[in-house]
Amino acid sequence: MTSRLAIDALRDAVARLPDNRLSATRLAALDHLQGQGTPTTAHEDWKYTDLSDVIDISNQWLAHSAQERTPDVAADQINALKDRIDAYWLVIANGQVDESSVAVAQAAGISVSLLSDADVALDFDAPLANLNTALLRDGLRIHVEADAQPAKPIGILIVDDASSAVGVSQARVEIDLAERSTASLIEHHVSTGRSRHYANSIVRLVLGDHATARYVRIQERDSGHSQTGRLNVRMGRDSSFEHSAFDFGGKLIRNDLLIDLCGPGALATFTGLYIAVEGQHIDNHTRVDHRVGPAKSIQEYRGILAGATRCVWNGKAIVHAGADGTDAEQANHNLLLSEQSEIDAKPELEIYADDVKCSHGTTIGQLDESALYYLRTRGLDRRHAQQLLTQAFAQSIVDRVSIDLLQDTLREMVAVRLSKLIEGDIGL
Amino acid sequence: MSTEPDKLESFVNRRYEHGFITDIDADSLPPGLDEGVVRAISARKNEPEFMLEWRLRAYRHWRQLEEPTWAHVHYPRIDYEAISYFSAPKSDKDRPKSLDEVDPKLLETYDKLGIPLHERARLAGVAVDAVFDSVSVATTFKEKLSEAGVIFCSFSDAVINHPDLVKKYLGSVVPQRDNFFASLNSAVFSDGSFVYIPKGVRCPMELSTYFRINAANTGQFERTLIIADEGSHVSYLEGCTAPMRDENQLHAAVVELVALKDAEIKYSTVQNWYPGDENGVGGIYNFVTKRGDCRGANSKISWTQVETGSAITWKYPSCILRGENSVGEFYSVAVANNYQQADTGTKMIHIGRNTRSTIVSKGISAGHAQNAYRGLVRIMPQAHGARNHTQCDSLLIGKACGAHTFPYIEVRNPSAKVEHEATTSKISADQLFYCRQRGISEEDAVNMIVNGFCKEVFKELPMEFAVEAQALLNVSLEGAVG
Repeated sequence: MTSRLAIDALRDAVARLPDNRLSATRLAALDHLQGQGTPTTAHEDWKYTDLSDVIDISNQWLAHSAQERTPDVAADQINALKDRIDAYWLVIANGQVDESSVAVAQAAGISVSLLSDADVALDFDAPLANLNTALLRDGLRIHVEADAQPAKPIGILIVDDASSAVGVSQARVEIDLAERSTASLIEHHVSTGRSRHYANSIVRLVLGDHATARYVRIQERDSGHSQTGRLNVRMGRDSSFEHSAFDFGGKLIRNDLLIDLCGPGALATFTGLYIAVEGQHIDNHTRVDHRVGPAKSIQEYRGILAGATRCVWNGKAIVHAGADGTDAEQANHNLLLSEQSEIDAKPELEIYADDVKCSHGTTIGQLDESALYYLRTRGLDRRHAQQLLTQAFAQSIVDRVSIDLLQDTLREMVAVRLSKLIEGDIGL
Repeated sequence: MSTEPDKLESFVNRRYEHGFITDIDADSLPPGLDEGVVRAISARKNEPEFMLEWRLRAYRHWRQLEEPTWAHVHYPRIDYEAISYFSAPKSDKDRPKSLDEVDPKLLETYDKLGIPLHERARLAGVAVDAVFDSVSVATTFKEKLSEAGVIFCSFSDAVINHPDLVKKYLGSVVPQRDNFFASLNSAVFSDGSFVYIPKGVRCPMELSTYFRINAANTGQFERTLIIADEGSHVSYLEGCTAPMRDENQLHAAVVELVALKDAEIKYSTVQNWYPGDENGVGGIYNFVTKRGDCRGANSKISWTQVETGSAITWKYPSCILRGENSVGEFYSVAVANNYQQADTGTKMIHIGRNTRSTIVSKGISAGHAQNAYRGLVRIMPQAHGARNHTQCDSLLIGKACGAHTFPYIEVRNPSAKVEHEATTSKISADQLFYCRQRGISEEDAVNMIVNGFCKEVFKELPMEFAVEAQALLNVSLEGAVG
């Protein structure tokens, strides 16, 4: 049984948030949430992911730390993270937008503002999106002008520090890329601290006609922290969206990627890599709606599971009536390295048009014994042979990252993660 | 392809060939369902006490259940109180011993269906236990089978003559509480077939049953139980046609298969029930629970189905692979046309070591039909070395139809290998053009392409069924050029 969110305490917490243009929307979102309730495993979309722990953290937070001032995240920690990747960094720390980072980006010519300053209507959506709206202190709005091409990626650093108390944080970003613009975007989640933490983020991205977005999401949360995240993408005519997601950390992680192909000629390429070690639960849900044709979507997710872990991949492609000329590909490959790991994969197709080409492929297996043997005959010990093959399996996703200067950083992140995994006994 | 709309129209307007009603006085219970009805059914069949108790337990549980709504199908709410739960042909009391004694009107019905029972049975070497409106009427080749020690009889006979086998195996694969429709069936099942193949026996002929639905407003609740004892082998064929109806008819059958050590069961179905008219009015609701249990080591259960009929199909023939090295197979062709809706697939539950399963599903949608594949492959932690391959393809013919795939893959063992592939496409203009330029008519070309698409499944059918299935498909898709 999933525990219930303490709605009265939540209402008190919402009332304590700073009064700004979002106030009325927060209350309306709370009413929606109260009507919907939080998802349970009885819901088809949450069949394999139980949110009890997340609700428990939220209730604990509402009962105690929600009434206190939100702690700051140390500046040197933020700076160290920013230095890893060269980008225009916008920072949301413990759910609070760092206004100085906004000022820096503005000075560099990026059009960014606070949600409470901009007139952005937030629509009411799934329960966790409504929870996000209800508890939102403030968010970011990023606009890329028509034909513009920012010189560096625009980074959104979502960082949480739960060293002093149980924490719950919300991040919200609305991005629009006007016609013919091209931008690289990085969504980077990091958290530290020994207390329990739950982060919930919502990003909406609108691509104008002929716009191109290169998008990389990196999740490196502490192994005791949980996260639910949602990225909604709406694509115009001949627009292009290239997305790569990397899940390295966290305890319970649930990502929803929703892509709406609304203009003919749109191309969505989205890939993901999840590496789960001891005790992790990583759930990736993707849904692509082909509303018009011709348009194309290509998806590939790969997973590496070791220890007592569970990963979920649910890819859904819906081809709406009239979306002729649709081409949709889905692929999901998983490497199971431990007796206690579990993968639940569900590649779904719903097709209501006839001039379509859709396919999906899912594989679940382990390292190829003959490949291992080959490497051992070349003098590698078993552990190194395993590491090499696992790395090669992961590498194909890293190679597809379209933000070139990120590839080395990501390769390193993958190597670190895998060496941890291989150093432990992966039971082969 | 200027002729396409005309052809499509003629195809859509095709009348159901087997639509007629045999004028037989049916001995039916009034509509409605309560404990009294369950008792009445049991009493009419002179069932022993254990059977009545079993039915009542199922009925009481069913009362607490809600009808499931998760399938990708839409239909008006079924009023379970408006259905009559029992109907038997009048000649029930003195059962005929040979075909000569069978009501000539029944034989006439089979003739209309193109199934000359006796000739066909003799020629093809097939024993037919014909179920007409819920009660077995004619059984042939009984002697030859009994020589081999094979028990092939109606379920009612089995309850009376082989109560120990029934007690031991009934509900052991599909329990009374399994799901809404299985519970309903367990409470009110009218009749069905019972097969027991003794140890080491290879059944000397293919066993076959024709199911028909006749009297108006009568649901049909078949129950089939097949037990293959150690080292035995049986191939069972099931084929269906039904008369035309304006009202929807509910069919909630249960099929249970038990394969013990080294045994093999091959279960083939051609289903061609009334699918409703061109506006989606009428047609059979086919909500079936079929499951096989590979209980012993090295056992094998193979499901092959060709589904062309029914307004709504809700059917997932499954295998529980319990025994070591046991094998499960599912080969399916599902055709949905006009306003037909199909949500069908399979479940392969791997429990034993080195268990293997193969799923090949071919879905064809035309007209306004919705055709969904729904499958589950589950590898349990102890199923070391388990292996599954799933191939699931859809073919779309027409702008207004839909094809959907909902596969669930759950793997909890690192030594398992699971592969799933699916494709969806229409008949390509290139393929058609290629055939046309070689002088093949458009219609023949479409038939050829569709048959090629389904070939992997047809080759699994017993020969006489394969011929029937191919003909059925050609008729169903005549002129439906995509």
